[in-house]
Amino acid sequence: MNLPALVLQLLLLLLLAPLVSGVIKNWKAKLQNRRGPRPWQVYFDLAKFLRKDMVISEHTSWVFGFAPYVVFLSALLTGLMVPMVHLPAPLSLFGGVLAVVGLLALGRFFLALGGLDPASAFGGMGSSREMTLSAIAEPALMLAIFTVAITAKSTDLSQMALSTQSATWKLLNPAHVLAFAAMFVVLLAETGRIPVDNPATHLELTMIHEAMLLEYSGRHLAFMEWGASVKQLVLMTLLLNVFFPIGLAGPGAGAAALGISLLAYLAKLLALSAAVVVVETTNAKLRLFRVPDLLSAAFVLATLALLSTFLFH
Amino acid sequence: MNMNDFSATLLTCALGAYVAGIVGALLFQRAEKLANGVGFGLAAAGGVCGIFACASSLATGAATASQSFALFPSLIPYVRFGLRADALGCFFGMVVSLLGVALSIYSLGYVRGYYGHKNAGVLGAFFNLLLLATTLVFLADNAFFFLIAWELMALSAYCLVSFEHEHAETRNAGVLFFIMSHLGTGCLILGFLLLFQASGSYGFEGFHALGDKMPAARRNVVFLLFLIGFGVKAGMVPLHIWLPAAHPVAPSNVSALMSGVLIKTGIYGLARVCFDFLGTPPNWWGVTVLTLGTISAVLGVLYALMEHDLKRLLAYHSIENIGIILMGLGAALMFLHSGHPVLASLALIAGLYHTLNHAVFKALLFLGAGAVLHATHTRNMEDLGGLAKRMRWTTLCFLVGAVAISALPPLNGFVSEWLTYQSLLQGFGTTTSLIRLMFPLSGAMLALTGALAAACFVKAFGVTFLGQPRGDHARQAREVPFPMLLGQGILVAACVFLGLFPTVFLKLFDPLTRQLTGQQLSQQLTMADGLVLSGGPAQGGTVSTPGIALMLLCLLPVPLTLWALFARRAGTRIGPTWDCGQRGLTPQMQYTATGFSKPLRMIFKALFRPRREVQREYDFSPYFTTTLRFESHVEEVFQTRIYRPLRWLVLRASRRLRALQAGSLQAYLIYIFVTLLALLLFAL
Amino acid sequence: MDIGSHVITLMAALILVVQLLMTAQRQLPTSIRLFAIQSLLLAAIAAVVAYYHNASHVYIVAGLTLAGKVFFLPWLLNRLVQRIQIHQEIEPLFNAPTSMLICGGLTLLGYVVARPFTSLERLGNNTLPVALTLLLTGFFLMINCRKALTQVLALLTVENGVMLAAVAVASYGMPLVVELGIFFDVLVAVMVLGILVYRIRETFASMDTSKLNQLKG
Repeated sequence: MNLPALVLQLLLLLLLAPLVSGVIKNWKAKLQNRRGPRPWQVYFDLAKFLRKDMVISEHTSWVFGFAPYVVFLSALLTGLMVPMVHLPAPLSLFGGVLAVVGLLALGRFFLALGGLDPASAFGGMGSSREMTLSAIAEPALMLAIFTVAITAKSTDLSQMALSTQSATWKLLNPAHVLAFAAMFVVLLAETGRIPVDNPATHLELTMIHEAMLLEYSGRHLAFMEWGASVKQLVLMTLLLNVFFPIGLAGPGAGAAALGISLLAYLAKLLALSAAVVVVETTNAKLRLFRVPDLLSAAFVLATLALLSTFLFH
Repeated sequence: MNMNDFSATLLTCALGAYVAGIVGALLFQRAEKLANGVGFGLAAAGGVCGIFACASSLATGAATASQSFALFPSLIPYVRFGLRADALGCFFGMVVSLLGVALSIYSLGYVRGYYGHKNAGVLGAFFNLLLLATTLVFLADNAFFFLIAWELMALSAYCLVSFEHEHAETRNAGVLFFIMSHLGTGCLILGFLLLFQASGSYGFEGFHALGDKMPAARRNVVFLLFLIGFGVKAGMVPLHIWLPAAHPVAPSNVSALMSGVLIKTGIYGLARVCFDFLGTPPNWWGVTVLTLGTISAVLGVLYALMEHDLKRLLAYHSIENIGIILMGLGAALMFLHSGHPVLASLALIAGLYHTLNHAVFKALLFLGAGAVLHATHTRNMEDLGGLAKRMRWTTLCFLVGAVAISALPPLNGFVSEWLTYQSLLQGFGTTTSLIRLMFPLSGAMLALTGALAAACFVKAFGVTFLGQPRGDHARQAREVPFPMLLGQGILVAACVFLGLFPTVFLKLFDPLTRQLTGQQLSQQLTMADGLVLSGGPAQGGTVSTPGIALMLLCLLPVPLTLWALFARRAGTRIGPTWDCGQRGLTPQMQYTATGFSKPLRMIFKALFRPRREVQREYDFSPYFTTTLRFESHVEEVFQTRIYRPLRWLVLRASRRLRALQAGSLQAYLIYIFVTLLALLLFAL
Repeated sequence: MDIGSHVITLMAALILVVQLLMTAQRQLPTSIRLFAIQSLLLAAIAAVVAYYHNASHVYIVAGLTLAGKVFFLPWLLNRLVQRIQIHQEIEPLFNAPTSMLICGGLTLLGYVVARPFTSLERLGNNTLPVALTLLLTGFFLMINCRKALTQVLALLTVENGVMLAAVAVASYGMPLVVELGIFFDVLVAVMVLGILVYRIRETFASMDTSKLNQLKG
């Protein structure tokens, strides 16, 4: 384990995650002909949340106060298992993609419990929807990852990135393209983006993630929001660096290579954010019971990805 | 007695303790407290002996097939009351002993609830009998002895299920259990007879690798018979219907034992028959078991989600977990067929490790449900809520169990599912036929199962323990007595230990895989001094649960620093939950268990076929109802589509057959005579 | 050659995806657009094959597909949609997830059936399973949709499958006359069907073909 790398990646995660959320918000506004908040507004929001007093519901138990820390820490930990700018990831030995998915599920588990604890109807609604949709998204996510993991013969994310990077890889491999499409749909669902959930509203009929956070305030809210943005960054990184590890610095790379890798990573991240923005702006939110259609499409796409390893080889 | 003397003595002590427990509990049944103490105390002592006997036998590598001894002499030919503590038997023996200890200690407190209106002595006696019979099932060396123990186990379980026989629901469940159990036993007897025909003895050593010498067709029949026989006991879909009926109605300590161990006798039997007796399997065996496992896992958890009876919910989860275990076993069979013994060992370890893990966390959860039942006298989640403030320790224990069963890191459920994923993914490379698509697809279904289980336990834990109490019972709940907490505590410790230190435990699997597949994997699966678990020789990936737990702690300074930097002066106020300005949030406004699972009920409505009835009465506008009645049902497809027509057929056939029952002695004698003649002619 | 084969496999995969989207689609105009995209991909495949094999008659096939199926037929169908003013969603027999899963199964079947004939030696040959899948899912679409217009669309995707198979297997061998024959057959068929749809609509005030059983005496 490389301690400086770990600390650097931790800092990158903590600092970049809110910025990505902010950039998406800003671009979305621009695309809709609004001025929108500045991209770094999210930092001020988080600082404000941290400074504020907390109001905690009288019905809650210790689980309520415990949940934000689990959400925040599990998201951070997954970030350390995913290669961001260099291979291997700092904690790649501690777990591969299965651990990442497991830890994200751990965070979600406590997030949903935190939603149920204050005895409000909204929290329960959010928890119910979140757990349902994530459950439906899970097979698509796993199958899409399996497509790559089987080729790499490993569930280790760094190994997977290495194998995609190696010479045998072809940019136009249909299996990769299909799996990427499936993963993109899952990304939209998991990060609460528009066809699935609307991150910008507190309207009871449409909200999922926000409903669970309704009773949180102060630093708890800050950790929840920050954890959510870290999770979003982790999923995006997973998508980028496993499917398109272009420019990703290998083991033992020098400072220059690392710099290029960082730039490439940021460029890819911005491109993916742009894609998310376009999807969010051009689509309307789906009815809750139409979301499974979307997710099952993702599942079938992932199955096709797996099949096309046969079809075309 | 040529077995490792220490283990053999301890094992005999354990069995002796159970027998003494039976006798003692019955002797003192007039004095309830004494009966409780003697019965369950001796059971706990027996369990401790059993753990040490089996674990030492596994750890020293003394557990091999040749280690057998006769318990007592037999006068009947072919029948030998022999025990053999081979690795497979010892492993399962360890599982039952471990649960025996925790459950007995728990029972010391739980049975107090029966004082005055139920006979605690009888409960203790049957509990000991069940432990004794189950241990004997795992260690029997002879088909006859095995079947005797098997029936003893079924009988004592029946008596325990029917313990609260004043409820009609309990009696029906008991009868259903009895019928299904005997259906299975019938298949087992036929299977053993076919094996006997090939080997000429009932001893298990004679059955070893017998399948290779049998004609293929007969071998397949034997496999199917055992699959049905053991599948019934394991609760494999579609033979599972007795399980969600019988497990919830038994006393909670017994439910825990049944879900934890009793259904595992089916897994033990399948493992014994498939890996020990029947030789190299054809491919379709593995495919069948893997498919049935996948279906069981998904359907089990889907039905669990629809339940709002806490114990029925847990019972359905047993079906799910049996499915996950069967996925491991099925994959192992497929790998054996394709000649990959190392991978087969990995899949087998995954399945058996999950067997142990499921035993631990399911027992823990049943004990938690028992504690809730003890404190509130209801299993209906819609009446519960807010117990986290009233039963702190039980809440904590149940939460650990919920996290473990949802396969979340870093607890034990995650480790065994991780191993299952690894074996499935690596299995993709074992063949080039289309069958290999099954592996990633079952993996995806395993992912679905895991995520749905998490959803289900958010519901179970959230609705039962969080929020406001929904009824008076829940409002007046108090923490349960200490022995009940201690029993749960032991299992919590086991969950944490099995989750954080799987590599320590994997060493115990070495004799087992050596016996069944000829491989030894613990070295290959262990990295970095046992801190990292590896996916095996083919480099399938690594995971480190201790590392994950440690890093979660090491990252804790990040939020704490932020707290110190920004929020030092921030205060905390307690206020009401936001109620949209309506003044007064009542417990009825919380999400219910039924409401929580509604999205899934709608998404999978093709399976559930939900029906709902709403009756509302109102005065002037339908928006201001005065009374409202709401009913919602979910169809149990297997009940209505398979079992009900089957029962109808059986009843009709028996009505026809009634003509044979003329009531005259002569007629009966003729039947016997004709049968005799037919058999004689057949023998010619 | 290498790049060409990759382009072809990718486009074949995309054709499959478009087909799946069509199965899940409930809006008629979107379905028509998807069909146009699918035909465009098909034309592209034909063009790539033609380029690498210097088979000039395949260029003609590509060109005709482009003109007929990417522009003319969608325009025709769109006009029909506007004329008879259909606004409701398509009501399929199976819901979207089920029909998509069925299509996934059909893809698997297509692969199993086509595998013995598939080889990597010849360019474009590995798209045969996709062609077969298009055929199968096209049939499924026809069964699944009750509206006459969507059935026409499904028929067109079946024809796309045949075309792809022609390009994939016989391709640079199948006589131009046969391909042209098929092409114009379909063209005429669609026009006739279009008129028929219009008449059905006039008679029953609906496009639901299941109402045709009212014609019985």
